[in-house]
Amino acid sequence: MKVAASVALVLLVIPIQIVLLDRISIAGIRPDLALVTVCLIGLYRSEVETVLAGLVMGFAQDLFSGGALWGNLCLKPVLGLLAGLAGRNLVNLTWAVVLALMLGISLLSGFVLYLLKSFTGSGVSLFPAAHGIILPQAGYDAMLGLAVYRLIRRWNPRRAPLTALAP
Amino acid sequence: MSSLHSIAGGKRAVLLFLALLITALLLLPESRQAPLQTLGRHMADAVAIPLRALEWVNQGVDGLWTRYGLLHHVREENVTLRQDSARLQLENARLREVAAASTRLRDLLELKERLPFPTVSAQVVGRDPSNWYRSVVIDKGTDDGLAIDMGVVTPAGIIGRIVKAYDRFAIVLLIIDQSNAVTGVVQRTRDEGIVEGTETGLARIKYLPLLSTVKVGDQVVTSGLAGGFPRGLPIGVITKIERREADLFLSAEIAPDSDFAKIEEVLVVTSPRESAQLPPMPFPLQPPARRDAGDAR
Repeated sequence: MKVAASVALVLLVIPIQIVLLDRISIAGIRPDLALVTVCLIGLYRSEVETVLAGLVMGFAQDLFSGGALWGNLCLKPVLGLLAGLAGRNLVNLTWAVVLALMLGISLLSGFVLYLLKSFTGSGVSLFPAAHGIILPQAGYDAMLGLAVYRLIRRWNPRRAPLTALAP
Repeated sequence: MSSLHSIAGGKRAVLLFLALLITALLLLPESRQAPLQTLGRHMADAVAIPLRALEWVNQGVDGLWTRYGLLHHVREENVTLRQDSARLQLENARLREVAAASTRLRDLLELKERLPFPTVSAQVVGRDPSNWYRSVVIDKGTDDGLAIDMGVVTPAGIIGRIVKAYDRFAIVLLIIDQSNAVTGVVQRTRDEGIVEGTETGLARIKYLPLLSTVKVGDQVVTSGLAGGFPRGLPIGVITKIERREADLFLSAEIAPDSDFAKIEEVLVVTSPRESAQLPPMPFPLQPPARRDAGDAR
């Protein structure tokens, strides 16, 4: 049952991202729901599950993207792992820490994707990319991630983020 | 005791007297009853005062009751009307949506009939899952005969080309994406160039000859030399010309004819070169009357 729920969640995230998230875009910028999901999976689930979820969601995201690169396929599992490792090493995951964590991971993701796109010759300048995509998306991702994190804590207060690596 | 009896006897005598007096008055002829009628009028006037007061109170109570009953009815009626209003608003919104879709589909159908090469109509079902590319997802794929590099148009002009095609979906990279490139020609001067997206969500035509007489307001159309588009399909209008001394070529900014934020239905050009009769240049996508009507809206 848990496996089925996890698979359904992972498979639903990208269609939601493609079809529905355009409705909540601000100035054309939408949050990266897959990134937020994989970070939360990193906080709450084991490393293997995080990597698998990141691979599946990153792959699906690249399939439906206009880009020819597989940046999300490579990035999502790594970013999920990073979130999980950070969560296990931080003493107290307050809302401010979760916000900063999501912001940092989204900034890192945006910067790596910018580098990938630049190296493939699309000619994106750093300032417009940072000002127009990376920073606003990081802010949006952080707010969404924090909101979902708080919802999970309120819905099931006994479920806490993992504090140690899986055996 | 005797005094009580005497009082009772006195009362009886008074009552008897009064009864006799009333009988006598009633037995009097009508002409002799004037004093009685005068007395009766005064009596009626006196009684009328409390009568009116009581009537006022009665009417008030009756009115209150009626109003309460009516209000109760009105309340029910109000609830019903509110429900009707909400239902009609929803219905109205739905009908507006149907009307808008009908107009769009009619335009698309007209375009499909006017284009002298095979096309497949498709609906836009989503946008790019990342903020890094400007693309849309359409609900037709290789099962419907679509393939990579096919051009995609709307009644307003070209919008992009297919970059990924799956069985039932395809990804269309818009011409305003920086990764996209389409061969274009300035309609007036016949200068050819490459049209690609800009960071600001517009398009730019590059590699125009340095001595070109291109100017702001010139229409840019597809050249048909490469890619999935036949020649003559509108791309956009030049809004700014960039001349740099060191450059060997001119470039110009283009405002695309299509509104990329509102694309809902598209046509995919499946075989731009199969048709024996290529359209005359320029090929008008929209009839002038329809374009005017669209502008008026």
